[in-house]
Amino acid sequence: MFTSSSIFTFAAIDVTHCVRSPLTWALVCGALWLLLMVPRHVRRTKLTTGVTFVLGIATATLFGFAMPCLGTAPDSVVFYCLAAVTIGSAAAAISMKSAVYSAIWFAMSLVGTAGIFLLQGAQFLGVATIVVYAGAIVVTLLFVVMLAQPEGHDTYDRISWGWLAKPTSVAAAFLMIGVLSMALSHVKDGKIATHNKGDKNEVAAAENHMAHLGAELFTRHLLSVEVAGTLLMVALVGAIAIVIQGREQKSAQAAKGGGS
Amino acid sequence: MNESAFLYNALLVGGLLFALGMIGFLVRRNMIVMFVCAEMMLQGVSVSLVAWGRYHADWGGQMLVIFIITVAACEAAIALALILMLFHKSGKLDIAFWQEMREEGQPAFIDRNIPEEGLEEHHWPVLTPAGHEPEVDQDSLSHRSRV
Repeated sequence: MFTSSSIFTFAAIDVTHCVRSPLTWALVCGALWLLLMVPRHVRRTKLTTGVTFVLGIATATLFGFAMPCLGTAPDSVVFYCLAAVTIGSAAAAISMKSAVYSAIWFAMSLVGTAGIFLLQGAQFLGVATIVVYAGAIVVTLLFVVMLAQPEGHDTYDRISWGWLAKPTSVAAAFLMIGVLSMALSHVKDGKIATHNKGDKNEVAAAENHMAHLGAELFTRHLLSVEVAGTLLMVALVGAIAIVIQGREQKSAQAAKGGGS
Repeated sequence: MNESAFLYNALLVGGLLFALGMIGFLVRRNMIVMFVCAEMMLQGVSVSLVAWGRYHADWGGQMLVIFIITVAACEAAIALALILMLFHKSGKLDIAFWQEMREEGQPAFIDRNIPEEGLEEHHWPVLTPAGHEPEVDQDSLSHRSRV
């Protein structure tokens, strides 16, 4: 049992509270559900499909109970829809056997994330996620998949890693979420210090959000912007260099093979 | 709107995205899907950053997310170039093929427990008995096997 230290304001871990809270059971259900959803090398029977479906519904319901209500009803409904879209699409993205479907589900998850950004008042980031992430990165990914795997999924897509990887990673991930939610229990009750560097409305202001964002970006973070630009150029040069070197190696191999 | 409840919910969503990305990265064998899961982890962190930025009325959260998007784009370019090179060398997008890649002199550690596809997975075609008109499945007529 932990005792409260001076740095972390953890209370002692209350086992009965953990067992009774819906979040623990939501995490357990979610872990079992993900174990069944990822591609497995045993054939899927009707029983496993039914159990997977029921576990999925149970996870969604328990998470609905675990998340505190947001106050006004429209806000809650919008946020829960966006969260469901995001998390559901992400779970589908890691469970799909075809890499193309996986990338498209990830793009759907990005749409959900962009909605969450818009709800938080980060309008530029909401649009930038769709334009840059979903519009450029995922499309480039799809190009590469089409070049490499035009016939659809192969053997290694239908089977994941062995018997140790799946339960260990699922247990580690959901243990992490459990510890995170324990650490955030103070946040739920509102007992956390607010810095209040400025008015809360300043960040979420709709009228001159872009003006404030631009001012902040190009005054306090100007050096980071320059470094990011240099990084982009270096990445571009590096990608081209990798491809050119690969082509030179291939032609050298072909010349060696053709000569001998 | 209840700000601390909003913060808690958004942090939970971000944490779940990160956890799902981590699970997918460790479990899947296709290089492209592993890359998608890495991007999913970055997106989870972005959601958490924006939530904290709104709660503390600090612009720094959104600034860091802008740079995260930039770095993700660079990482996508380099990673996809590398994946294409590996594909040209091996002919497939399987990462288990490259398990033996290590420095010279390092002891070998090969995961021998990669499960093979069971023989029950093969669905052999079923022939209809002679004289009967075979039932034509409308779904399979219009199914496109190539994505």
